[in-house]
Amino acid sequence: MAVIETRGLTKRYGRELTPALADLDLRVEPGEIFGFLGPNGAGKSTTIRLLLGFLHPTAGGATVLDRDIETGSVEIRRRTGYLPGGIAFWDGLTGEHLLDELAAMSGRPPVRRADLADRLELPVATIRRPIRDYSRGMRQKLGIIQALQHDPELAILDEPSEGLDPLMQRAFYEILEDLKRDGRTIFFSSHILSEVERICDRVAIVRHGRLVALEDVGSLLARRKRNVEMRFEGDPPVLDGLAGVSDVRVAGDRLTCRLEGDVGPFLRAIAGTQVRDLTIEPARLEDAFLEYYADDLDRAVPA
Amino acid sequence: MNLAYFTHLWRANRVRLLIVTAALVLWGSLLPVIYDAFGEQFKELMASGLIPRQMAEFGGGDIFSLTGSVALGFIHPFAVALNLVFSVGFAGAAIAGERQRGTLEVLLARPISRRRAYGTALVASALFVGVTVAGLTLGALAGTAATGRIAELGPQNLPLLWLNAVLLYMAFAAVALAASVSSDRLTPALGVALAFVLVSYFLEALGSLWPDAAFLQDYSLFHYLDARGVLSGLADARYFAILAAVIVAAVAYALVMFPRRDLAAPS
Repeated sequence: MAVIETRGLTKRYGRELTPALADLDLRVEPGEIFGFLGPNGAGKSTTIRLLLGFLHPTAGGATVLDRDIETGSVEIRRRTGYLPGGIAFWDGLTGEHLLDELAAMSGRPPVRRADLADRLELPVATIRRPIRDYSRGMRQKLGIIQALQHDPELAILDEPSEGLDPLMQRAFYEILEDLKRDGRTIFFSSHILSEVERICDRVAIVRHGRLVALEDVGSLLARRKRNVEMRFEGDPPVLDGLAGVSDVRVAGDRLTCRLEGDVGPFLRAIAGTQVRDLTIEPARLEDAFLEYYADDLDRAVPA
Repeated sequence: MNLAYFTHLWRANRVRLLIVTAALVLWGSLLPVIYDAFGEQFKELMASGLIPRQMAEFGGGDIFSLTGSVALGFIHPFAVALNLVFSVGFAGAAIAGERQRGTLEVLLARPISRRRAYGTALVASALFVGVTVAGLTLGALAGTAATGRIAELGPQNLPLLWLNAVLLYMAFAAVALAASVSSDRLTPALGVALAFVLVSYFLEALGSLWPDAAFLQDYSLFHYLDARGVLSGLADARYFAILAAVIVAAVAYALVMFPRRDLAAPS
């Protein structure tokens, strides 16, 4: 049973011709960390808000934790932790008071609060201060705690690491990994590709409200082209027509090319060459992402 | 109703509630005292014909009879403004204010349905309005007691007067809440609710001061707060029914409208 399953999920606002989300089909399996990628306006937040009942679908449907998003929204939210993007709080309350109130509204004890506060370095003295005195990073930490303190089966996090410094980002990733080890499912949207690459099992990429890629991070990376730079002595290796190799350029004793898929044929082809130095730059999700958004980037470049 | 959310609303508003209620107690007690001190002189002034008779008929209020002075305390702009702090200010901001601040996201991320959130805000509005109107009513009772004229007032009618005023301000609160659930911004929600109150007040004032426009009073909710009639034991059940009907209509609208709305991400 999928934790999240959408079937042709579509959302159109008012009379707008272009849907904010069109025909989305995806499954999020139990215990996985699922990254939902896309630039601003791609449909990430619309999807999350549909899943949590803030929006009503124009067409299609979805289930979350085996409950229909239209009829079982309250039960879904009972079992889910949600961190909205750019979260706001009742600033007159202290952090502790806010967390107490939200736990009471959730109807579940805040069993993870102390551990989360400790790991995100939000000491008791700070948590007892009024929220109006909090910095952006402290607010984000508080947001993460309120979403996860009641140990939800599913965490839906919208841009969760925004405002966190690199140290806290690392602590946050470790928290997510621990949650995963405990069998919890995490669905989060992001445009920070390095974090998705680091912690996600699978990733979906949305563009103009449409799903353009849905696969596990490993295979997405395996299909990406790696940048190869080689320094050699004597004659350059013959790489023309070799499977997976493209953009071969030789300048003096330096050869560069792009390599896709299995590296075996490439290594065999250079076996007879005296190689002085070889760098194969690991495929980055960013490259995959940029490839999917090439059209947008082209449009952004002035003529 | 969600008890935890209700507790949150109570904690957020209790100091304001205390201040407004205290002001209304003072105000309510002031007018019977003024009547006791200057009522006869005002009566002679009115009898002289110097002041038009209509000036003493707005909302049944005056200061040359005890029931009239209590009625004036209920219909006076100062008392109206204080009561609107919760019936329009709180109710109008209850959903639209949370939405504008972005805190509605945090609230509705909990297992609370929109109808339950609305119902909680409605119950909180009823409590706050009930307390502020009780302050005004108790103030009138205290002021009357201080002048030794309790028997003249007919205190047995005060609970009915309280109910009449609560229904009026709950009608405004229900309209404000209906505007609140329909809007993403605080200003339009408060604007609609306040415009409704001001038009209503204007129609009542115009109708009572200008005999040819008396028919306009029927279209004002203030017309159905009949403090003098209630205190005289002449309460009209239709007035209570009309105010209750406005509440029911506004609540029904909100209960249908709010769950159907799309709550897009705050901009």
